[in-house]
Amino acid sequence: MDFEWSEDQREIVGAVEQLLAEHAGPARAIALDAEDAYDHELEQALDEAGFLDVALAEETGFLEAALVVEAVARAAGVASIGASAIVAPGLLGERAEGPVALARVEDAAVVPIAAHARTLLVDAGDEARRIPLASGDAEPVRSGFMIPVARPRMELTGGESLGPGSGARLRRYWQLALAAEASGLMAGALDVTVEYVKQRRQFKRPIGSFQAIQHRLAICQAGVQSVHWLMLEAAAWDAADERAALAATRAATVAQQVFIETHQMTGAMGFTREHDLHVWSMRLQPLIAACGGPAAHPRAAAQARWGV
Amino acid sequence: MEFAWSPEDLAFREDLRAFIEAELPADWEEISKGGPGSDAQAAFSRRFCAKLAEKGWLTQHWPVEFGGQGASPWRHAIVGEEMWSRGEPRGQQYMAVNWVGPTILQYGTEAQKERHLPLISSGNGMWCQGFSEPEAGSDLASLRTLAVRDGEDYVVNGSKIWTSYVAHADYCFLVVRTDPASDGRRGISVLLCPVDLPGIELREIPAVIGDRYFHEVFFRDVRVPATSRLGPEHEGWAVVTYALSYERVGAARYARAALALDQLAEEAKRRGSLGDPAIQERFGRALAAVEAARLLTYKVIDVRAHGQPPTADTSLARVAQTDAERSVANLGMEIYGADALAYGSWAEVYFRMVMWSGVAVGTTEVNLNLVASRMLGLPRE
Ligand SMILES: Cc1cc2nc3c(=O)[nH]c(=O)nc-3n(C[C@H](O)[C@H](O)[C@H](O)COP(=O)(O)OP(=O)(O)OC[C@H]3O[C@@H](n4cnc5c(N)ncnc54)[C@H](O)[C@@H]3O)c2cc1C
Repeated sequence: MDFEWSEDQREIVGAVEQLLAEHAGPARAIALDAEDAYDHELEQALDEAGFLDVALAEETGFLEAALVVEAVARAAGVASIGASAIVAPGLLGERAEGPVALARVEDAAVVPIAAHARTLLVDAGDEARRIPLASGDAEPVRSGFMIPVARPRMELTGGESLGPGSGARLRRYWQLALAAEASGLMAGALDVTVEYVKQRRQFKRPIGSFQAIQHRLAICQAGVQSVHWLMLEAAAWDAADERAALAATRAATVAQQVFIETHQMTGAMGFTREHDLHVWSMRLQPLIAACGGPAAHPRAAAQARWGV
Repeated sequence: MEFAWSPEDLAFREDLRAFIEAELPADWEEISKGGPGSDAQAAFSRRFCAKLAEKGWLTQHWPVEFGGQGASPWRHAIVGEEMWSRGEPRGQQYMAVNWVGPTILQYGTEAQKERHLPLISSGNGMWCQGFSEPEAGSDLASLRTLAVRDGEDYVVNGSKIWTSYVAHADYCFLVVRTDPASDGRRGISVLLCPVDLPGIELREIPAVIGDRYFHEVFFRDVRVPATSRLGPEHEGWAVVTYALSYERVGAARYARAALALDQLAEEAKRRGSLGDPAIQERFGRALAAVEAARLLTYKVIDVRAHGQPPTADTSLARVAQTDAERSVANLGMEIYGADALAYGSWAEVYFRMVMWSGVAVGTTEVNLNLVASRMLGLPRE
């Protein structure tokens, strides 16, 4: 057991943060959102620097991939890095042509980033399917959740089957990826909120000095930290057993709470496009809905743990 | 970052399990229902701890010269997990090894170390905690039990309350006010006080959580040698916070919760309710809470293992442990239904064991205050 980053991990995270300082950030997320755009440039930059390959590289693994995904989300990068850096390698044992979109047959109607993706990985129950996407295969749909979404124009039961049992494998890596992204997004949302309540004064004192605010933020902090560690442990164990499902269980629940509390505590200002909170908070909703939604993860965990 | 145990740690855990298995009597389950304060468990714990000490496993995380092996705090965490998941056969001794010993190591004089540490590390020194008073609960620094210096002694007057396990204790980690003119954090000192001194009287306070948990301890002109003061006079608050940082997560409550949840899942299977998707969801959520508590506690141990000073991670972990225990206990009551109402039923025993988790050792609210100020840097009023 050791919770401190190794030299290599420090280097990887340092390097990706350096890249993100140039290629991501709230201002860029807001600009992209105005055009309903996907950050192809960011994904390409991450790819060229090798950050999308760390899961399968010799010296690194899913733990390092999770750290990268978390950092990208923390920097509000508008790219589906969890899918390309964690899910595709985990499911396929190799990279897929990116960007990569993820969908379930049951929720085929609206799929995040489908209009921008080159590969669609589908949870079709027992098996997973891989569908190549060309431009025009999905019709963009307006959304307020800071990530482009689209309606696929094809049946999600097509494409190539990845074999019996591959559905469960897809779900495990998807749960890991969504927990990693949620961890980064929640850290971002919580940080700006803590800053806000320290500055904002009402009744002649910072609102962050009210205990009703302090305790709820402290509970959020406990939740966010628990997602961070559950997610990293699941990554270190290659999403084995019930670990990814537990990380996702916690991620979805805490995300709902962090969304409500951060918006509550930033008052009207937090709902504006002039304050940065929304670049992190709004993107929690697609993650909460992902991979079967908040109730599916704990059920999956219980089934894996107690064999029911 | 490493989330796996080393082969040596895994082997140690196996040895320890085998040892516990061999040492626990057939009626252990029944004995442990009484809690660490019961006569039966206290008597057993003394024998058990001596054997554990012989193996070198009671205080292996202590330095070699004081009866330890200089092992990493992770080793001690493994011991805690295995003990708590078997009903804590060390009984109240877990307090001595977890926080009394380490605090004496940090603040004790050579004579105090030589006197107390071998006693604890051999399994023979039993301790209780004299912190709370009728008027000093969460606001511990408002305590008023007075110790006035008189020659070679302090003369102690006042009372402590809620003192668990004092009936079987040899010593009390006693927090007193040595400067009568002071209030608040200054003017406080810590005394390592034998509990059989003349002038000390006990009264058990009956409680729904079980026997021997709560006592009131009265001090009337009790003469405690000044040599038993731990740390500087009037500046004992630092000693107290140091002790609390070890105590808050010293108990591996998540390990007990994990085992309880596994047992409960078996019971739910027997009752045919685990197939219900709504029940599965509850179990999955409880498991996530338990695992979250485990990892947040590991974070605290990691800080310690890297030799860094305690952080507010301790409070975060404590809050998470309470959350985990409540999730499991509530689920237990739900699965057992009316069967839970019988005293001694599985669900009732677990429920009763954890219902006070958010109050003891500093309440949830106090821990949240600490997270808010120390971790989030939120302003005071
Ligand atoms: C099972 C058990 C065993 C114990 N064993 C021992 C022992 O061996 N030795 C010992 O010394 N003590 C022991 N205690 C006492 C324990 O430390 C205290 O109960 C605890 O510190 C709280 O104090 P209190 O009970 O007086 O509650 P209070 O301090 O009166 O608190 C009551 C409620 O008010 C809230 N509150 C208080 N202050 C604040 C604040 N600033 N902000 C927000 N909310 C606040 C509390 O969180 C709590 O919810 C034990 C307690 C229990 C339950």
